[in-house]
Amino acid sequence: MTEIIRTRLLSKTYDKADVVTNVSMKVGRGEIYGFLGPNGAGKSTLMKMLLNLVKPTGGEIELFGERLLPGTIEPLKRIGHMIEAPVFYEKLTAEQNLELHCEYMGYHRPGAIKEALEMVQLRGIENKPVKQFSLGMRQRLGIARAICTRPELLILDEPINGLDPEGIQETRSLFRRLCDEYGMTLLISSHMLAEIEQIADTIGVLDRGRLLEEVSMESIRKSRTEYVEITTTDVKLCAVVLDDRLGIRNYKIVGNTAVRIYEMTITQEELFKGLILNDVPVTAINRRHHSLEEYFLDLTRGGGQA
Amino acid sequence: MMHLIKLELKKGKMGGYLWGSLITYAVILGFLLLIYLVEGPTQTEPIFQSNAEMLGLIDTLIRATFIIYASVLLAKLVIGEFQNKTMALLFAYPVSRKKLLAAKLSMVFVWTLANVIIANFLIGTIFLTVNANLGYVPDTISSELLINHGISVITNALAAAGMSLLPLTIGMRKKSVPSTIVTAVLLVMVVCSNNMGFSLGSIIAIPLSLAALGILLTLLSIRNIDRVDVA
Repeated sequence: MTEIIRTRLLSKTYDKADVVTNVSMKVGRGEIYGFLGPNGAGKSTLMKMLLNLVKPTGGEIELFGERLLPGTIEPLKRIGHMIEAPVFYEKLTAEQNLELHCEYMGYHRPGAIKEALEMVQLRGIENKPVKQFSLGMRQRLGIARAICTRPELLILDEPINGLDPEGIQETRSLFRRLCDEYGMTLLISSHMLAEIEQIADTIGVLDRGRLLEEVSMESIRKSRTEYVEITTTDVKLCAVVLDDRLGIRNYKIVGNTAVRIYEMTITQEELFKGLILNDVPVTAINRRHHSLEEYFLDLTRGGGQA
Repeated sequence: MMHLIKLELKKGKMGGYLWGSLITYAVILGFLLLIYLVEGPTQTEPIFQSNAEMLGLIDTLIRATFIIYASVLLAKLVIGEFQNKTMALLFAYPVSRKKLLAAKLSMVFVWTLANVIIANFLIGTIFLTVNANLGYVPDTISSELLINHGISVITNALAAAGMSLLPLTIGMRKKSVPSTIVTAVLLVMVVCSNNMGFSLGSIIAIPLSLAALGILLTLLSIRNIDRVDVA
């Protein structure tokens, strides 16, 4: 079994409003799956359905190869989660909150709590009641709670909300470490594309409750993102040279000043040389790539036609 | 189940419950002593005709107090967790929802039952002792009186414990703390009111059937909890 999460035509309707519609997704073991979507796309609802908190109105969910039914509790032992802003027992201290969590999870390993707090860089606050915590500290504590039982699957909803830039960077490397060192599978949602771009192995794009695309980051990088842009005052000459002399076919003329090459059959040095020798007035050559942002906007604007 | 109850106590801080009970006992005792000491000496219209009447009032007051107290606990343990969204946290644990709620409700049931019995025993004893010395109520203590009263305290305590769950069914509809507590107050006003010595509560079938209703409705509301969305 390589898939940890699998949903088939999963739907949720609240009072005739479709929140999630026919989502069929797959999350493989050991990967970081980035859930991307604008606010209100149904990310949180979908995650709550995976935790059995919200019951689907259609379709089905499989976790660790077993079907999730209304009373199913077994798979929850293997899942750590943080949905929306994490909630705690405010009057209890950070440590007591985590102790309670471990008790309910049936997880007993000495040192687990201390280790988790270390991992999220929360030190010296074990005995402070949670109500005194700042937003960022709560977020970190929420992550600590999710990871302290060393779950196989980690479901995190907007985990970097409220963190400072340094915190974001630390958290990002923590996620990578959890995945690489402990073999955890991570499902992370965010509306911040740049973040997802940096850590996810696979992304699923959700918009208005529909899964528009599920694709590996690698194939996005490979297939659509890179091109070399030549800025020139004579695009026609440039095109002729590319075609006839250099044997490059996959390019596109963009406006009056630029030519984009999507597939390079020669090295960049040869390209330079070829253009100069054929008197193409080149003002600049840049290697660019479509960011995930462009890709994402394409998808959500095009209504899934991309 | 015991483990779940232990965790609940840890969450709510055990000491708090004990102090709560003790303070309640003290307030009830103080209030009754005030009545006894102020009204007792007037010979024309004595406040208590007999020991049985005195003990009856003590019992009624204790039950009324603890039924309302139980609703406050329900509000904290069940409704409060829904409102703070910590219920979503609990329901995502590998523990059956029914067991989680059953642990909370049985805590309230046992807590009410135990407190009504203990408070009756303590306050009743204190009153009988005080009266033995001051003698404002002209009556003797017979073992028949004690046995009869003992039986009625225990049946009434069971009834009170069952009834104490009733407000939850109302409060759960909108997950509202005020409606839970107001329901308890209304319940107490009906069951524990005393009109010239007559009270609905004295027809023992009424409190017992309300208790049965409380337990039944609670079971019904737990039955479908696995299918409920917790946002």
